[in-house]
Amino acid sequence: MERQNGELLVRMVNIHKWFGRVYALRGVDFEVYRGETVGLIGDNGAGKSTLIKILSGYHQADQGEIYFEGQRVRISSPRDARKLGIETVYQEQALAPNLSIARNIFMGREPVRRWGIIDRKVMNEESMKALANLGLRLRSPDLPVVTLSGGERQGVAIARALHFKAKLVILDEPTVALSVKEVEEVLEFVRQLQREGISVIFITHNLYHAYDIAERFVVMARGKKMADVKKKDTSPEELSQLVIKSAFAE
Amino acid sequence: MNERRMGLGRKLLLSRSSSVLIVLVVLTLGFAILSPEHRFVDPDNLRVLLSLGSEFSIVALGVGLLMVCGEFDLSIGSILVFCSFVFLRLFEAQVPLFFVALTTILVGAALGIINGLITVRAQIPSFVTTLGTMMMWRGLALLFSGGEQRGCDVSTVPSQYFLPFFTGRIGGVFPAQAFWFIVFAVFLGILLHYHRFGNWIYATGDNRDAARAMGINTDLVKTICFMIVGVLCGFVACAQIARTACFTSRAGEGWELKAVAASVVGGTSLRGGVGSMVGIFIGALTISVIENGLVVMRIPYFWTYVVFGLVILFSVLSSMYIEKKQREVHQ
Repeated sequence: MERQNGELLVRMVNIHKWFGRVYALRGVDFEVYRGETVGLIGDNGAGKSTLIKILSGYHQADQGEIYFEGQRVRISSPRDARKLGIETVYQEQALAPNLSIARNIFMGREPVRRWGIIDRKVMNEESMKALANLGLRLRSPDLPVVTLSGGERQGVAIARALHFKAKLVILDEPTVALSVKEVEEVLEFVRQLQREGISVIFITHNLYHAYDIAERFVVMARGKKMADVKKKDTSPEELSQLVIKSAFAE
Repeated sequence: MNERRMGLGRKLLLSRSSSVLIVLVVLTLGFAILSPEHRFVDPDNLRVLLSLGSEFSIVALGVGLLMVCGEFDLSIGSILVFCSFVFLRLFEAQVPLFFVALTTILVGAALGIINGLITVRAQIPSFVTTLGTMMMWRGLALLFSGGEQRGCDVSTVPSQYFLPFFTGRIGGVFPAQAFWFIVFAVFLGILLHYHRFGNWIYATGDNRDAARAMGINTDLVKTICFMIVGVLCGFVACAQIARTACFTSRAGEGWELKAVAASVVGGTSLRGGVGSMVGIFIGALTISVIENGLVVMRIPYFWTYVVFGLVILFSVLSSMYIEKKQREVHQ
């Protein structure tokens, strides 16, 4: 699992972001290596989500640079991010509850035949395949997502990333409203992404959910990066001390 | 367990459209049997129902589509009357009919786009945007026309195609307006259910943030839906003038809420993301049938709104009941 000499996938350099008068990110450097899983932790309002939304094209940085596979890139929309191979699984807003599983997986990138007519056969088959790859067996691709459990829903969102050959999957608080059993289910999906060699950023304020699967931890507080440590050099106790301390320190 | 879910999902989909269909069938049969001398099913009345009713129903299809993507349009009647006025003016200026109709429809499209742009750019609820444009366009139409009715007899101009296109009878029987109603319903149904743009409409209405995160330009989707409504209003403005041979500043009055009613009766959610073109089609037809049926029954016009109210409440309550039952089974 030693990857510090591996190839850099993403490098964010000196990222600054203002929201009106709120200084949300104050010069953050952040990188992810190929195939690596990074736990991004910190209290609410630490800037984790803002940082990640810049990477996924939802916000734009006011200052700073992003490199992807060594190239300087400009990510000005979610579409740009997806073109690069960056897929984001947002905590709650990733899925349209009344739409079917297949329509959710292919949302915005529907396979089409002539004149933009959706190729349902391909869409349904590919959906079931992507879900099966995650070890998730659902009865039909036509089920509306609202009928699934919380864990299964995250599975659908992650299957989407898997199907579109993401190089980096960002999971934004994927375990936030889930039962213990469902959390374990989601962690198993993440392990599948790891087996496929996909880089993962796992954002959480529950350290213990990230601890099992991440290889490196980045701690943020008040718009700054406070720590960047490998799992082998730390412990859950030390990390939680770090989170608490950095939240109060000035 | 999954088996049961699947079964219920199916049942729900079926029952949504089928409960609307039952309402329509019951009303139709009721009117057919109870109207004096069964006048409701008299060919002449059916022709009136299909031509007049289809004018409203065509616009209602667009409103339903717009509601699926999570927006309202209260300005349809006003766009319609403004388009009619444009038609009148161009006609009086002796512009060739083809260009009169084309311009009228383009003006409708433009007014729809204006609704859309104000709504998405300023992030105002479309209920408010279109409340404003509803008053504005009708106000301008009244102002320019002096609130008068004015003759606009298209048949005075020699044209082979115009009248048959909008008001002709296919095979000498079937009104052109009903034909267009079906054509638009099929077209919009394919768009909504089979085309990728339809998936964007659903996604936008169901969860706008998710749609945006997946790279769908939700502002564009909404604006296009507003534009579709505008185009349909322009089209119906032409059809109405062709049929009545006059301009009236009261055209389209009261359509806005009837169209919302048609969509709701057809199973469209007020919150967006839920609805089907079959349901909207049947819902629009139901509204037209009620309006016509009560007239044929010689029931005072004022009863119309009472019946509308009852039908709306019945369909909303029954679909809520179905949803609740379904949720209970899932948990």
